[in-house]
Amino acid sequence: MLMVKNPFRNKTRAILAIIGIAIGIATIVALGMVTGGLQNSTQSSLKAGSAEISVTKIGSGSFGSSGGTLDESLVNDLKNISGVKDAAGILRVNANISTTSGSSGSFGPMGGLYLSGISRNELNMVGIDSINGSFYAEGDSKEIILGKTAAGNLNKTVGSTINIYGTDFKVTGIFETGNFIQDGGAYVSLSTLQNLTSNNNKVSSIAVKVNPEANSSQVSQSIQNAYPNDLSATTAADQANRINQSLGAIDTASWAISLLAIIIGGVGVINTMVMSVYERTREIGVLKAVGWKNKRILGMILGESVVLTLVAAVVGIIMGIIAVEIILNFMPTSGSFSPVLTIDTLLKAFAVAFLVGILGGLYPAYRASKLAPTEALRYE
Amino acid sequence: MSEGNIIEIHNLKKNYDKGSIKALNGIDLEIKKGEFISIMGPSGSGKSTLLNMIGALDRAEEGSIKVADIDLMKETDLSEFRSQEIGFVFQMHNLIPNLTVLENVEIPMYESNLNSEQMRERALELLEAVGLREKAETNPTKLSGGERQRVAIARALVNHPSIILADEPTGALDSKTGDVILKLLKDLHSKEKVTLVMVTHEPYVAKMADRILNVLDGKIKSSS
Ligand SMILES: Nc1ncnc2c1ncn2[C@@H]1O[C@H](COP(=O)(O)OP(=O)(O)OP(=O)(O)O)[C@@H](O)[C@H]1O
Ligand SMILES: [Mg+2]
Repeated sequence: MLMVKNPFRNKTRAILAIIGIAIGIATIVALGMVTGGLQNSTQSSLKAGSAEISVTKIGSGSFGSSGGTLDESLVNDLKNISGVKDAAGILRVNANISTTSGSSGSFGPMGGLYLSGISRNELNMVGIDSINGSFYAEGDSKEIILGKTAAGNLNKTVGSTINIYGTDFKVTGIFETGNFIQDGGAYVSLSTLQNLTSNNNKVSSIAVKVNPEANSSQVSQSIQNAYPNDLSATTAADQANRINQSLGAIDTASWAISLLAIIIGGVGVINTMVMSVYERTREIGVLKAVGWKNKRILGMILGESVVLTLVAAVVGIIMGIIAVEIILNFMPTSGSFSPVLTIDTLLKAFAVAFLVGILGGLYPAYRASKLAPTEALRYE
Repeated sequence: MSEGNIIEIHNLKKNYDKGSIKALNGIDLEIKKGEFISIMGPSGSGKSTLLNMIGALDRAEEGSIKVADIDLMKETDLSEFRSQEIGFVFQMHNLIPNLTVLENVEIPMYESNLNSEQMRERALELLEAVGLREKAETNPTKLSGGERQRVAIARALVNHPSIILADEPTGALDSKTGDVILKLLKDLHSKEKVTLVMVTHEPYVAKMADRILNVLDGKIKSSS
């Protein structure tokens, strides 16, 4: 009871200490949520069944739509390279959407939709193998499927129409891959998009699936060797590795911040608790006079310290979640990326808070328990 | 320990500041079980120090002190002794301001093996005895000085101590309120049959006791 009531006797001091620790905890939680979300997303991009290699024109990114196009005939050429099981041409554009009356589609400042054209039969190459609704018809159809996030952002459901480059498209289905870039985009048939954008017989990238017994990096290498001046090939594993490396860096940063939070928070707790013990010298003398053992006094002060930091943990977790939501709201890609709060992150936040509480409370608690009762009672 | 003595002190010496202050300079004292003793003497003569020695708040350097059959020069667990045998009443009530009156009275029982229901019951029983049962859930800061001192008395008695040590319990009160507290202490003393050792500056208060000890320069000068 004392442990719960005492930390808040001096409200200003308690609040200051709590804010100090909470900021550290909030940072840990926010970083944890972002890394968690990115990790989820990269994992799902390595889904079985999808293409292992992405081939683009040299000098353009794998998702680049402006980096230059390839001739569609290359798709068939690549199928002849040993180890290649299948290849599919994809045309990608960043389409402008004219929101027709009635739709209240909120849209980010970039105001574009990642629209890809791919043959309906090859959708599994980009990780789309099931759909809510139906796939678009092959050929020059005016049908479109939307990623779940894109559908949410544009406020569209199966059966809605969407106007792209002045043409009305009917939404036939909504898909979800778990990859935040994919789910923020949309797909139409390849020929539809080629016609619409006057890119006949052009594709922006080619997805390549390798034979089960072939090694994707070797195949990737042979593709580059076959077209040294035209094509660049990246394996999905390479991409995932690259992302994981940056995630690892964020993770390290997160630990470094945790450590900083422990040190700064710990000093704050020591200061708060030393002050609190000092002010209560007489009271501690009374507790000793009525027979409290040193151990109980030690436990009380430690408990108070931990109560303080655990409250800070709760405040920090809430602050962290709110901060991530606010920041993502102001980011252009907001809709397509969902942060994930894992149990691990929560446990880490509480563990750090608990540790700070114990470490910061130890010295003040020891001092309180060692006070000589006669001195403490004489204290004015 | 001779029959009937609850406190036996021989040649007890206590120094402070590395021996430069001889707070107790050879005290000899025997107090019978159930006795009411007043201690008088000028400021700095060692009255509080003597009380603190009896209450095992500190250890003496020399001599012997036995309280309730326990040798305080040798006993290692002094907090347990304090919890079971001693009830302190100080000049300042020393209540914890952020706890209720009831919770303040429960504090000494944390070291006992009573459950919270029993603790509550016992605390209410004593608040009843000091006439403050209806203030159980009140904050001590909302009480008058006399009421606070009554809560402190309830707190001192809650563990059924054999000795109440009261260091100027009315020192901070006006004489009318002080008289109420004294009457309460005296009533509880006769009803609960506890030994009461009280430091006071007021001769008329001291006269209420069975015996008055006069302390001077760390020694007992006279006993009447
Ligand atoms: N913890 C301590 N540290 C140093 N000196 C002390 C301590 N406690 C008491 N003294 C000294 O010991 C002497 C006796 O003190 P004590 O408190 O027993 O006097 P007292 O008779 O209770 O006086 P008062 O009537 O003012 O309460 C004093 O000189 C005091 O300054
Ligand atoms: Mg005194």
